[in-house]
Amino acid sequence: MARPSAGLVGSFRHLDSLLEAISRLHQAGYRDLQALSPVPHHAIDEALKKPPSPVRVFTLIGCLLGAATGLVLTIATSLHVSLITGGKPIVSIPPFLIIVFELTILFGGLLTLGGMLLNARLPLVHIVPAYDPRFSEDRFGLWIRCEVRDFDPVTRLLESADAEAVHRVGE
Amino acid sequence: MEVNRRDFLKIIGIGGATAAMAGCGTQPPESLIPYVVPPEEIIPGEATWYATVCRECPAGCGMLVKTMEGRAIKVEGNPDHPVNRGRLCARGQASLQGLYNPDRIRQPLRKGTDGTWGPTSWEEGEKVLAARLAELKGRGGRVALVTPLVTGSLDRLIDDWLRAVGGGSRLRYEAVSHEPLREANRLAFGVAAVPFYDLEQAELILSFGADFLETWLSPVEHARQFGAMRTYRDGRMGRFAYIGPRLSLTGANADEWIAVRPGTEGVLALGMIHAILAEGLATALPASEEAAFRRLVERWTPVETAEQAGISPDKVRVLARAFARSRPSLAVADGRTSNGTDICLAITLLNYVAGNVGRTVRFGPTAAAGRTSPYREMRTLLQSMEKGEVSLVLLAGVNPAFTLPEGERFRKALEKVPLVVSFASFPDETAMASHLILPDHTFLEGWSDAEPWDGIQGLQQPTMRPLYETRALGDILLSVAKQMGLQQQLPWEDFPAYLKEQWKGLHRQSGPAEDFETFWARALQRGGLFRPVPSRPVRLNPEVFRHRFEAPRFAGESEGLTLIPYPSPIFYDGRTANRPWLQELPDALTQIVWDNWIDIHPADAKRLDVSEGELLRVQSPLGHVELPAHLSGGVRLGTAAVAVGQGHSAFGRYAEGRGANPLPLLPAEPETASGSQPWIATRVLVTRTGRRHLLASTVGSDRPHDRGIIQTIPLAEVQRLRHPEKHPHLLQMYPEHPHPKHRWGMTIDLNACIGCGACVTACYAENNIPVMGKVQVAKGREMSWIRVQRVDEGASHHPEHRFLPMLCQHCDHAPCEPVCPVYATYHNPEGLNVQVYNRCVGTRYCSNNCPYKVRRFNWFMAEWPEPLHLQLNPDVTVRSMGVMEKCTFCVQRIQGGKLQAKAEGRAVRDGEIVPACAQTCPTRAIVFGDLKDLDSEVSQRSKDPRRYRVLEHLNTQPAITYLKKIIAGPVEG
Amino acid sequence: MSDLTYSQVDRDILRAMQAPGRLYYVVFFANLLVLAWGIFAWQYTIYRGLGVWGLTHPVMWAMDITNFVFWVGIAHSGTLISAILYLFRVRWRASVYRTAEAVTVFALLTAGLFPLIHLGRPWFFYWLLPYPQGGGLWVNFRSPLVWDVFAVMTYMIISVLFFFTGLVPDVAVVRNRTTGWRHRFYAFLAQGWQGTDRQWRHYKAAYLFLAALATPLVVSVHSVVSWDFAQSVVAGWHSTIFAPYFVAGAIHSGLAMVITLLIPLRRIFRLDTYLTQTHLENLAKLIILTGLIVGYAYVVETYIAWYSNNVPEWQRFVYQVTGEYAVLFWIMILFNSLVPLLFFVKRIRTSTPWLFGISILINIGMWCERFVIIVTGLAHEYDPYSWGLFIPTWVDISITLGAFAWFFFWFLLFAKFLPVISIVEVKEELPPPMKSTGSEA
Repeated sequence: MARPSAGLVGSFRHLDSLLEAISRLHQAGYRDLQALSPVPHHAIDEALKKPPSPVRVFTLIGCLLGAATGLVLTIATSLHVSLITGGKPIVSIPPFLIIVFELTILFGGLLTLGGMLLNARLPLVHIVPAYDPRFSEDRFGLWIRCEVRDFDPVTRLLESADAEAVHRVGE
Repeated sequence: MEVNRRDFLKIIGIGGATAAMAGCGTQPPESLIPYVVPPEEIIPGEATWYATVCRECPAGCGMLVKTMEGRAIKVEGNPDHPVNRGRLCARGQASLQGLYNPDRIRQPLRKGTDGTWGPTSWEEGEKVLAARLAELKGRGGRVALVTPLVTGSLDRLIDDWLRAVGGGSRLRYEAVSHEPLREANRLAFGVAAVPFYDLEQAELILSFGADFLETWLSPVEHARQFGAMRTYRDGRMGRFAYIGPRLSLTGANADEWIAVRPGTEGVLALGMIHAILAEGLATALPASEEAAFRRLVERWTPVETAEQAGISPDKVRVLARAFARSRPSLAVADGRTSNGTDICLAITLLNYVAGNVGRTVRFGPTAAAGRTSPYREMRTLLQSMEKGEVSLVLLAGVNPAFTLPEGERFRKALEKVPLVVSFASFPDETAMASHLILPDHTFLEGWSDAEPWDGIQGLQQPTMRPLYETRALGDILLSVAKQMGLQQQLPWEDFPAYLKEQWKGLHRQSGPAEDFETFWARALQRGGLFRPVPSRPVRLNPEVFRHRFEAPRFAGESEGLTLIPYPSPIFYDGRTANRPWLQELPDALTQIVWDNWIDIHPADAKRLDVSEGELLRVQSPLGHVELPAHLSGGVRLGTAAVAVGQGHSAFGRYAEGRGANPLPLLPAEPETASGSQPWIATRVLVTRTGRRHLLASTVGSDRPHDRGIIQTIPLAEVQRLRHPEKHPHLLQMYPEHPHPKHRWGMTIDLNACIGCGACVTACYAENNIPVMGKVQVAKGREMSWIRVQRVDEGASHHPEHRFLPMLCQHCDHAPCEPVCPVYATYHNPEGLNVQVYNRCVGTRYCSNNCPYKVRRFNWFMAEWPEPLHLQLNPDVTVRSMGVMEKCTFCVQRIQGGKLQAKAEGRAVRDGEIVPACAQTCPTRAIVFGDLKDLDSEVSQRSKDPRRYRVLEHLNTQPAITYLKKIIAGPVEG
Repeated sequence: MSDLTYSQVDRDILRAMQAPGRLYYVVFFANLLVLAWGIFAWQYTIYRGLGVWGLTHPVMWAMDITNFVFWVGIAHSGTLISAILYLFRVRWRASVYRTAEAVTVFALLTAGLFPLIHLGRPWFFYWLLPYPQGGGLWVNFRSPLVWDVFAVMTYMIISVLFFFTGLVPDVAVVRNRTTGWRHRFYAFLAQGWQGTDRQWRHYKAAYLFLAALATPLVVSVHSVVSWDFAQSVVAGWHSTIFAPYFVAGAIHSGLAMVITLLIPLRRIFRLDTYLTQTHLENLAKLIILTGLIVGYAYVVETYIAWYSNNVPEWQRFVYQVTGEYAVLFWIMILFNSLVPLLFFVKRIRTSTPWLFGISILINIGMWCERFVIIVTGLAHEYDPYSWGLFIPTWVDISITLGAFAWFFFWFLLFAKFLPVISIVEVKEELPPPMKSTGSEA
C-alpha cells in the first residue's frame, strides 16, 4: 500500500512517555513511526525494533579496498620505476606495509562516513515538517504517518501517553 | 693610493662590456697545433687540448689546456713533460682563475697628473714608452727592467732588446729564491748553480727546512719523486726526517720532525759530519779530504752541536749514522736565515761526505732557479731610484712593493722615477704605483717557452684568443723597438717570429733528422723539446776548508719570538692570492681558509696569555702587523710562523684586506754571502689587542676520537700481512645487486697522500663548484666535493698529521639513497651513486644519513662574477639553489671515455677514464678504474694487504678502498 | 553536573559563542601580527634560499623538523581522548574531547606545513605525492619521508572527519538558535540534522567505527614520524625504542597542551560546571603515566648508549649531556620526566595554577626533547672532521613563532564559532527526563 504523505507528530517531555506511546501505537498496529530526540537512546531503538546499522559493512569494504590499493600502488610503482636504492630489493615489503596500513585506515574512514551519509539520508536539504527545534533541545518527538481517518484514534493514543501536544503535518 | 685603486676598478668596469665578446671566438687562434685533434676538426661541444707551460711559479711544469668553443675550461699536467709527468699542484689548477680573473686589467691604462687612472690606447702607450726610451738612449744605465725568473726565448729577447734600446740594468727577481743554494755550490765546487736533487733514488732524505712538497724548487716534480721514494717495497721504504723550527706540510709528511733552533740547521749538518768521521763511516772520502774535514768540523762535537741546535746529542749521532749508512741518502736545504749560505754549504758538504754528490746530487741538469738576480740587486735599484739615478723603470710580472721587506719604501722610490711602466695583468701594489700599465697576456693567451732545467724546453702556446685588449710582453718590446727605428737590431715581425727563430736554433742542435716544420709541430704537440743532459762531475774546492761558518743573527729583543715567515703553499709569494679557488682551499695543516694567521706554540701562548683566534700585535724593530693567533705545536717553542702571500692592499676583490703581510717586519740587509733576502731574521714581540678575529676553518674536530677513519700500520707489520686482508664479511640481508658492464671504483693510498690539496682545486675546476666565501665556510657551508681531511694523532705539543682525501664513497648500500622520497639519488648499474639535480626537492635527508658527510647543499644561488663564468665546464650542470650535490666520480668523463671507446669499437682501456682528482694527484695516491676488470690497476690496488674501507662496520659497501698509511717511526742508525 | 537540565546545557555552552569582548580582539590581532611576521620570514627563506637559516653541514635539519615532530606530537592527545577513551566508555571524556579534538586538527594543520617549509625547493612539494610524474616517475616508498606523507595525510583526514562528524548534532542545536548568515553557516555544517532515530542509529555506528579507526593512528602516526630518525644510520637516531618513546612523548606533550588550553577556556567561558577539577585531575594522572614512560625511555637510551659499547653512540651521548646543547638536554630531563612527578601529590594536581604552570613546562620540555634528539645526533656524526654546530637565526625563530601563531589563530576561531564542549554528549551523561522518576529536562 502507498505510504501516506500526511501524519501526526506528538511531542513529549519525558523519555518514558515517548516509549509508552511507541508501544501503544505498536499494539494498535501502527508501524510507520519515527522518533526524534535531542540525544540518542538505545531504549528508543529497542522500542522501535530497528535492525542494527549496516555502516559496519561499509567500513569493512573500505579497509579491504585500502589495503589492496596500498599493496598494488607500492609494488606496481616500484617495479615500474625499478631503481636500486641502498642496495635494497625493488619490492621491499616491510616499508610497503606501512603504506598499506595507512591506506587501510584512510579508505575505511572515508567509506564509514559515506555509509553513514547514505543510510542516514544525509545531507538533508529540506527539514521535514515534523521537526521542531525543541526536538534538538529537550523534547522528544514521535511522528506517525497515517491516513486522515486514523488521526483521531492516534491522537487519543498519544495523549493517553502524556503527549504535550499533537500536531498534524503533511496533507 | 686608495683613491687610485677605486678609479681603477671603475675603469675595469668599463672594460666589462668588451669582455663578454672576447671569449666568444669559436675558432682557436690560427696556426696552433692542438695536442690531440687538428684544428680543422673543431666541433662545438668537443674539447680541444693544447700543450703549454704553467707559469704560476718558476718550476715550469708542462700543462695541457682543455678548450671548448675557444675557451680554456680546464688545465691538466702534460704527461709527456719530464718535470711534472701529467700532474699539477693546486696553484697550477687555479691558473684559469688568473686568466678569467674579474679584476684583470683589461686595456692599457695611464695615470693622470692628478693621480687618477684613465684608459689609453696601445699606440699611445707604446709611443710614450718609445719616446722615453729614445730620449734616454745614449745616456746609458738610466733604465731598469725587472722581470721574474724568465727563461728561454723571452729572456734572451729582453736582453737583446735592452741592449738595443741603449742598455740598462736587468733584474730577474724572485721573492722565493735559491741564491744561498747557488752560492753554497759555488763555494763548495766552484759551480754557481742549483743542482738536480734526485729524491727518488734516496733511501733517506733529510730536509733542512726545504719545503720541497710546497714551494722549494719544483714542488710537483719533487712530490712525484717523493711518492715513488716512499713506496713500500719488500719490507722497506724510503725514510724521511724533517729538520727545522717549523713543521711545514713537507715536514708533516716526514717520519720524524727534529725541531732545531732557527738557523742551526747547518750546525746540525756539521755535527753530523763530525760524527760520521768520528765513527769512520765516510768510506767514500779520500784520506786527504777526510783530514781537512776533521779540522773543519772539529768544533762541532755531537754535544756542542746538540747544545747549539737545541736537541739531544744522541739524535745527532743517530742521524749521522743513518745518513752515512743509507746508500744513497740525500740532504736538501733552504737557507732562509742570515747565515743561509752557510747552512746550504754545510748540507752540501754533508752530502759530499756521505758520497751523495754525483748520485742523488747531480750537476746536470741544473735548475734555472739558479739564475735569479739576488735580492741585493733589487736593493741597489731601490737606492739608485731614491737617488734619482733611474729615469725609467719597466716592471713585468713582479710585485716588489709587496714582496720586498721595504715594499713601502720601494713604492715611494718609484714616485721619484719620471716614468714607471708596468706590464702587469692585475692591479697589484706595484702596478698601482706605476704611471703607465701596458697589460701583458696571461700565459694561457700568449706564446713563449720555458727552460726550468737545462735540456727541458717547454713550449708555451696560446690556448685561446686574448680575453681583453692585452699584448704579449715580447710583442710590446719589439713594436716599441720598431717605433724607435731599431729594425736592424731587432728585425722580427713579432714575438712568435722571434720564438720560432730561437727554435730553429734548437732544431739545428737536435740534428735536423726531420724538417723544421714537423719538428716544430711535434714540439707543439708534445709541449716542448726534452733532451737528457749528462751530469758533469764536480771536484771539491779546497778553499771550502777555510770557510768560517757563522751563527744566525736576528734583529729584535732577545725575549721576543723568532718570526718564521714562509712562502704559502697556496699563494706562493702572494702572486696567486687573487684566485677564489685558492682562497677557499683549506690550508693543509690548519684547514683555515680566506685568511692568514700567526702560529704560536701553546706553551708560549700560555705564557703570553693568548687564546686561539685572538688578534695579536706582532712588533718587530721595523714595524708591526696585526694577525690572529693560531695555537699550534707545529712551531718550536720560542718561534712564531706566518705564511707570506696574504695581506694585499691592492690585488683585486679576492686578495685585498685579508690578514697581513709579515715581510715588512723583516730587516732589509741582504745575506752577506749570497745577497739573498733572509726571511727568518727577526724576533717579534707579541702583544694582545683584546680583539678577536674569526678564523674560518673547515674542520670540526681534528682528533681521531678512535673512529678509525684514518688507519695506519707500523712498517714492521706490513710484511706480516701476507694474504690480502679480506674485508670483514658482514651478514648481507639482500642479494648483491648486479653491475652488468662496469663497476667504477677508486683506491686511495694514504701512504702516498701528502695532503697538498691539488685534488680539491682540480675538482672545483672540473665540476663548476661554487666558492662560498669566508663567512659561509665558517658556517660549514663550503661546497667542496672532495676534501683532504687532516687528523692530528700526535701528543698535544708534538703534532702528527695524517691526511685522508674524503669524497663520495659511492656505496653499494648507500644510506643516502633509500631515504630520498623522490628517487633523486640512486645506485646506477655501473656502481655510481648518482644525484639527479633537477629531481631533487631538497629534503637534505640524504646528507643527514651520509656517514661520510660528503654531500653538499646549495644554500644560495651560486654566483660567478664575470668573466669567471667563462671557465664553467659545459659538460657539468651548474646546480641551482635548494638542491643537493656531491662527487660524481666525474661522470661526464666516464661518459666521454665510454663514447670514445664505443666510437673506436673497443672496450674501455684501464686508465683512460680518470676523474679530475686522480688525474692531478702529484703522488698518484688516487687511482680510479673499473673493478670488474680484474687486471685494472684499481682492482690490483684494492687487493693490497693494507686495504681498508672507512666506517666499514656500517656495511655501506663503499666503492673506495683506502690503503693504510705506513708508520715507519723515527730514523734509526 | 547532574542537576543540569537539557536546555540549561544548551544555554551554558552556547553562551561561549556570543559576540566576543575586547580582550578577544586584542589577543586575536596580536596573534595575527606574529603570524604575518612568520609568513614573511618564510617568504624571505624562499627568496634567498635556506642559507638564511642556521642550518649547516652536517646539521641539515634543526628547528624545521623539530617543529614538525613537536606539532604532530601535540595532535596525539586529542585522538587519544576522543577515540580511545570513547571506546573505553570513559565518562569524563564528554566535556573535554571537543577541545582536545580541535587541538588535534589544528596541530596537524601546523605540523603539515613544516615538511613543506623545510624543503630546499618548496615549489616542487607536490613531487612527494603519489601520482605518475614526468617520465613515469613515482615516489620512493622506501623513504620514511613518504611514509610521513601518508601517515600525516591519513591522520589529518581521519581527524577532520571525526571532528566534524562529532559536531553535526551540536551545530544542529546552534542552527536552531541562530539567524542570517550564521544560520546558513551552521545549517550547512548540520547537514540537515534533526535527530531522527534513523539518523541517530547510523550516526552512532559510524562514530564508533571512526573511533575504532582513529585508535591505531594514535600509535602509528608518531611511530612513523619516529622512523624518520630510527631508520637512519645516525648515531643517536638509529634506535629501536624510538617508536614507543615518541608515541609516549607525543601524548605527553598533547595532554600538556590540552590542559594549557582548557584552563583559560574554562575560566573565560565560565564552564566550571562542565570542566570540573576532576577532568583536569584525570588529565594530570594521564600525564604522570606518559611522563614515566618518557623518563623510562631516557634511561634506556642512556643505558644502551653505554651498553652497546659503540664508540660514536657513546661519544654522542656524552656530547649530548655535556656539549653545546647540554642545557636543552637537562631542561628536557627536568621538565618532561621529573616535574610531572609532582602530580603524584594530590594538592598539586588539583590546583589550577600548578596544573597550568607544569603543563607549560612540559610543552617547553617536549620541544627541547625533539631539538636535542635531532640536532645533537647530527652535530656529532661519524666523521669528527665534519662535526658542526647549528645556531638559529632570526628566520628560524620567526618561523617557529609563526607556527604557534598559526595554531592559535585557528584555535581562537574555534573557541568562538563552535561549541567548545559537546552538547549532545554532555546531555547523554545526564539522566534522561523520566515521568516515572520525576526527573525533568
